[in-house]
Amino acid sequence: MDSIDTLLVLIPGLPLAAAITVGLLGARVLKERSHYPVIIALFGSFICSLLLLGEVRKEGESVDDGFEHVVTLWNWADVSNAYELTDTAAADVGSHDFHIDVTLRADALTAIMLSMVTFISSLVAIFAAGYMHGDRGYWRFFAYIGLFVFSMTMLVSVSNFILLFVFWEAVGVCSYLLIGFWYEKPEAAAAGKKAFLVNRVGDFGFALALFLIWTNYGTLNFHDTLPNGSTDPNLIAQVAATPPSEEAAEHAKPAVIRGVLGRLRIATNDYKHGNIALAICLLLLLGACGKSAQFPLHVWLPDAMEGPTPVSALIHAATMVTAGVYMVTRCTPLFMASPEAQLTVACVGGFTALLAGLIALTQYDLKRVLAYSTVSQLGYMFLALGTGTVVGITAGMFHLFTHAFFKALLFLGAGSVMHAMGDVIDMRRFGGLRKLMPTTHATFMIGCLALAGFPLLSGFFSKDSIVAAVEERVHALEHEHERRAAHPVNGAVANDAQDRSAEVEHAGVFALWTPDQLDTFARVYKWLFYSAMFTALLTTFYTFRAFYLTFYGEEVIPHEAGHHAHESPRMMTVPLVVLAVCAAVVGGALDQTWIGPARTHQFGELLLQTPSLANGPAAAAHDAFKFHGKIAGISGAIALGAILLATYLYLGHRREIELIRSLMDFEGFSRWLDVDSVSRWQKARWIAAIHRGATAIGLGWLTALLGNIVLMIAIVLSTPFLLGHFVSPYKLSLRKFFIDELYNFVIVLPLRVFAATCYLVDRWIVDGLVNLLGKLPLLFGNLMRSLQMGLVQFYALAMVLGVVVLLVAKAVLAG
Amino acid sequence: MNEASLLHNYLVVGSLLFGIGLIGFLVRRNMIVMFLCAEMMLQGISLSAIAFGRYHNDWGGQMLVIFIIAVAAAEAGIALALILMVFHKSGTLDMAFWQDLREGGHPAFIDHRVPEEQAEDRVWPTLTPAGIEPEVNEDEQLHRSKV
Repeated sequence: MDSIDTLLVLIPGLPLAAAITVGLLGARVLKERSHYPVIIALFGSFICSLLLLGEVRKEGESVDDGFEHVVTLWNWADVSNAYELTDTAAADVGSHDFHIDVTLRADALTAIMLSMVTFISSLVAIFAAGYMHGDRGYWRFFAYIGLFVFSMTMLVSVSNFILLFVFWEAVGVCSYLLIGFWYEKPEAAAAGKKAFLVNRVGDFGFALALFLIWTNYGTLNFHDTLPNGSTDPNLIAQVAATPPSEEAAEHAKPAVIRGVLGRLRIATNDYKHGNIALAICLLLLLGACGKSAQFPLHVWLPDAMEGPTPVSALIHAATMVTAGVYMVTRCTPLFMASPEAQLTVACVGGFTALLAGLIALTQYDLKRVLAYSTVSQLGYMFLALGTGTVVGITAGMFHLFTHAFFKALLFLGAGSVMHAMGDVIDMRRFGGLRKLMPTTHATFMIGCLALAGFPLLSGFFSKDSIVAAVEERVHALEHEHERRAAHPVNGAVANDAQDRSAEVEHAGVFALWTPDQLDTFARVYKWLFYSAMFTALLTTFYTFRAFYLTFYGEEVIPHEAGHHAHESPRMMTVPLVVLAVCAAVVGGALDQTWIGPARTHQFGELLLQTPSLANGPAAAAHDAFKFHGKIAGISGAIALGAILLATYLYLGHRREIELIRSLMDFEGFSRWLDVDSVSRWQKARWIAAIHRGATAIGLGWLTALLGNIVLMIAIVLSTPFLLGHFVSPYKLSLRKFFIDELYNFVIVLPLRVFAATCYLVDRWIVDGLVNLLGKLPLLFGNLMRSLQMGLVQFYALAMVLGVVVLLVAKAVLAG
Repeated sequence: MNEASLLHNYLVVGSLLFGIGLIGFLVRRNMIVMFLCAEMMLQGISLSAIAFGRYHNDWGGQMLVIFIIAVAAAEAGIALALILMVFHKSGTLDMAFWQDLREGGHPAFIDHRVPEEQAEDRVWPTLTPAGIEPEVNEDEQLHRSKV
């Protein structure tokens, strides 16, 4: 246990120490050696994470209901009797002290996240040492990286919502600093600002969710605590077992403060249901959408490409976008209490996956394609989390895990290409790089295959398990619906308690569901299933489109590349190779169900040692991990088919794809309806002949009329097609469905107008009043100015007159 | 002659002195004359103070007058020095010439222009030279600011 304490502190501590060291010494002492402390610290963190993972796994096997270990470092803030809970579950009633302890936790979920984050970020740091070589802000970059990893490791290892929120924000700040790293570039500064502001929207929802959790559960800790702040599990079990003493009842203080995700609460499934649960979950989801770039807050992530490429890899794979998925997974018990919220999570995920997949089809910026693919894959993860089954949640986390490897690989590969091409990233300006950069080409191909879900690579297993989880969910819902239909008496109409409990036993997790709900949910999940399948096709296609455009075809090198156009140095290719090996094998190695029924889903079994998944409502809905041969076959076929399609379309002359593009852009139609070309018809010989003939027999007016009618029709018809030209499927995809423009118009512009109005009011009305007050003395002074004429006699006369006035006044008053 | 009528006479003379001085101060533009008028006002006041002192039979009035004499002496010293300097600067004793301390942008007050003095009309005091004649510094004479 003590070793866990040390490891938990060391894992975030090392990157922080490195960040401080580099921040203080980087500019003067370390300079070009600034990467050493950070790389060493991150690698040390990674070793510690592995040790922690081993410890957690060892401890977890000995207990049934999951293992968690909480370390309280120090007390941050203390408000006694902060709030009194009245109308809530009996065990929570009472006045509550508000303790904020700085607590770290070790459980399976945290350990997995920590290992993944530190592994990816140490590789990215090594890569960045090569990539950023010679940059003016070299030390600044590594200080930020250290800080970023510190924030992210803290985010996944803290054990209360307050600290989660603090590091949630810290991650946002670090991403802002890194996206806007080249702040002299206006696009980079704008992208950093956009990322930060869009995240604020999500954070706002997250904060509201925390308020709701506090008012309803009376604590923000994940774990159970005693009122004195102790987290010793034995002591808590002891106190919880004894009935509350008289004194405690009198003071209305609960003997144990049950954490929101604590063992005691999960064991009794004592969660709010109904609208409150829905509100909490939706607000949490809003927060997760901001951080994990889900629709409608996905707009910041593609713009975040303005940062240095290693930062993109870090953000997309390890330290930023995974935070939302982690948070939703962590809060599984809360989401379990609200099926509607889970459905919303699934819908947001499914829709985002589809939308981003469609957008990625036409982008010409290599990093942007990858960015949209990240958004799309995150959508998959949310879809998986939204199924609300343990299988689904495991699948989501598993996809997060494998995705981290191949997405980091792809981004670093793109970075390697950029490095060689002199920072050009437009795929139209380079091509055929496979001979030039063999290592990058090979590793990038493995990354593409993994992302595409090529059989037996890691993406295949994780994506399959997601699709399978959705399918299973549909199946379970339909099955329950049919069962209800077959036995209508036993349906949800059961009112008296006995029937109800019998029903609960029989129906399991669906006990509280109405038949209508079952039906609707089943249908929605089914659509999501189809959409996920279609998105898988899109994913493969756009991945290989980017791959072929970059590495195949005619060799094109932009002039910016100069003498750089060669394979990247060893420092950059080694991380690529390591990641490529991981991306290839990690899926099959951790999910061994495909080998045979005797093998287990190692990752899933480990994840299930997390208390919130091992126990309570989640565990109740748990089926064994299985390998779904049918689904695997279908999605394998889809992947292969899409790869072949992409190969056919993009390898070679690319004539067909031009045709498809022009079709999708309505180019063919608009040519026929072009007003100019229609009016050119009258010059065609046979039409002119008819017109001449008609004029000869006195019917010239008729043909002229007919011609004008045709022209009118052409004009009328061309208008919608002209509009269609702007919103053709191709344009929609290329312009990202005009979402940025829409936000600009609906949100940014009104806010700007409002700000301008405020400025004018402040400038002219508020300032005007103040200035007016300031000018009044000047006005009065002006009246007196003419008296100062500089003539001594006049002054003397004024004195005399003054004396006379005084004398007269004295005489009058005295008289 | 009783005390009251005696006081009355003194006060009449005093107020006449003050009145003449006041009117002179207000209507004359020659600095020296204005200065003399101011002195005359002081004398009028002094006379009244002494008369009251004597009437009330105390020393307060006389004490005040001694102060006035002292102050007037000091004032005369300063004022005459100033007037001398001013004359050196401008070559005129006209008070209306010195309106520079009026508010900015305000036109100068022109009452009645004094006729321009002719160079040959200027009469400088001629004194019998005494002692050793100082060496004439040509340079200084050339660069004398005015006069």
